[in-house]
Amino acid sequence: MDGLEILIFLFLLILGYFSGTYFEKRHYKSIRERERKTLHVPMVTFGAKQSLPEAQDAQLFVGSVVISVDYFKMISATLRNLVGGRVMVYESLLDRGRREALLRMKEEAMAWGANQIMNVRLETAAIGGRSGNNSGPGSVEVIAYGTGIR
Amino acid sequence: MILTTLEGVPGKTIVEHYGLAQGSTIRAKHIGKDIMASLKNLVGGELKAYTELLQESRQEAVERMVQQAEELGANAVVNIRFATSSVAQGAAELFAYGTAVKVE
Amino acid sequence: MFIRYKQPKKPPEGNVIKHSPLLNFAYLLGTVVIISAVIFVALGFFADWLAVRISPETERKIGDMLFHTISDEEIVDDKRIQYLEELLESLPESGETTRLPLTIHLIKSDVVNAAIMAGGHVFIHTALLEAVESENELAFVLAHELGHFQNHDPTKSLGRSLVFLVASMALGIGTSESGGVPDIVFRTGELTSLSYSRKQERAADLYGLSRAINRYGHGSHSLDFFKRLEEEEQEQGRLLKVSQYFSTHPLSKDRIVILNKAAAEKGWKMEGDAKPLPEWLHCPNMEECEPDAEE
Ligand SMILES: [Zn+2]
Repeated sequence: MDGLEILIFLFLLILGYFSGTYFEKRHYKSIRERERKTLHVPMVTFGAKQSLPEAQDAQLFVGSVVISVDYFKMISATLRNLVGGRVMVYESLLDRGRREALLRMKEEAMAWGANQIMNVRLETAAIGGRSGNNSGPGSVEVIAYGTGIR
Repeated sequence: MILTTLEGVPGKTIVEHYGLAQGSTIRAKHIGKDIMASLKNLVGGELKAYTELLQESRQEAVERMVQQAEELGANAVVNIRFATSSVAQGAAELFAYGTAVKVE
Repeated sequence: MFIRYKQPKKPPEGNVIKHSPLLNFAYLLGTVVIISAVIFVALGFFADWLAVRISPETERKIGDMLFHTISDEEIVDDKRIQYLEELLESLPESGETTRLPLTIHLIKSDVVNAAIMAGGHVFIHTALLEAVESENELAFVLAHELGHFQNHDPTKSLGRSLVFLVASMALGIGTSESGGVPDIVFRTGELTSLSYSRKQERAADLYGLSRAINRYGHGSHSLDFFKRLEEEEQEQGRLLKVSQYFSTHPLSKDRIVILNKAAAEKGWKMEGDAKPLPEWLHCPNMEECEPDAEE
């Protein structure tokens, strides 16, 4: 009984580690590529105190993504909870989420023809962990929104 | 209806404002999607089903805000902000708010 | 005039520390396991330290309290109790006293078991009386329990379980929010407390055998009961329900080997005749009854 539980635990841990690393690598590759492609369109967080640029059109754009931890990250973070210190495994998770959300917003705005995106705001919300309990971010939603102008 | 996160609308001037316009939705988690999500929680990566679910809900909140603004007689909502808060176990409120204005 | 945009050469990075997730994990796991092992061991020693210092009166009170929570069917006014009490009283060395008077509780049960609780409450299941084949075997079982009592084992284990309960409550273990990991903390504690129990068993065994030899002049037949239980256990697999004895007295396979070795070292005599049990020990009040009459 105990042996089986430990086996399942180890299996999930290894599965989580390899699949999580694989997805993360692939995701970062895509993020960096797309960021390079869209780098010429600026995103700024100002919009009120600065004078508004000359433009014909303005429109709201929202990009969002729900990104999930893997089992390995979750276990690492739970252990980290007992030890204390920086939760390094979650840093990449949130970094990916924010950049992905920004990219989605930006890509949509660029498809519309935006030459810059103003007053960008970011927000992160934890949505329930595994099997409905709320201990630690099982997954996080990141949204990015701003005004595209052309 | 023009929607922006700016204080105004570029290339236009605000002639009138009608105060706050807001819209919100509360969404519970979807049990079927939740099972998928808990599987995905093991391997990591994006939860596409949840991304879409929350996008739809947020869209609905925006539509409600727009509807309010229309009723007020506005043709634009400026300085829009979004917020998310979990109000109960497994349920989240998504809301959008801004200032309803008339621009020319 | 709007501010000019100076395009960076590449997308900015730097929010993620480069680290090896596996090394990080190993460090975390190692830290948690070591710290929890140290805490459990320290708490265990604290509980033992406390258990030995409890006054006999307090122990009696605690024992009585625990005793009243047990709802097993107890047989009273039976001559067998008197017989068991006399046998138990004959076991301690002359001059050796127990810190509390021991009380025998005869429990009607089909499960073979014997145990001692804090406060000197000795539980003997009727099935045990049917399972033993000579007085030497029975005396060894009783002397083993007596050994536990003299070593303060019941209060120690009670103290340990209380301390661990409080510690695990403080850590939030066992509540539903634990997501699998705190098991690691718990398992470590379980292991350390189990290895301690083995040590206690060995001490009680040694004491038991020395008392049996003292009474009968030899250690022969005393261990036969365990030999039979062990064989039965091996034959029928680990799911054997008939005997709970091994769950209250965890033991290693080499228990009998160790005892024989110890006896050889001390020059204890291990040959001799068995003393028969009273003929109707398995019957109520030791009055003649049908061979398979269930009580
Ligand atoms: Zn024992």
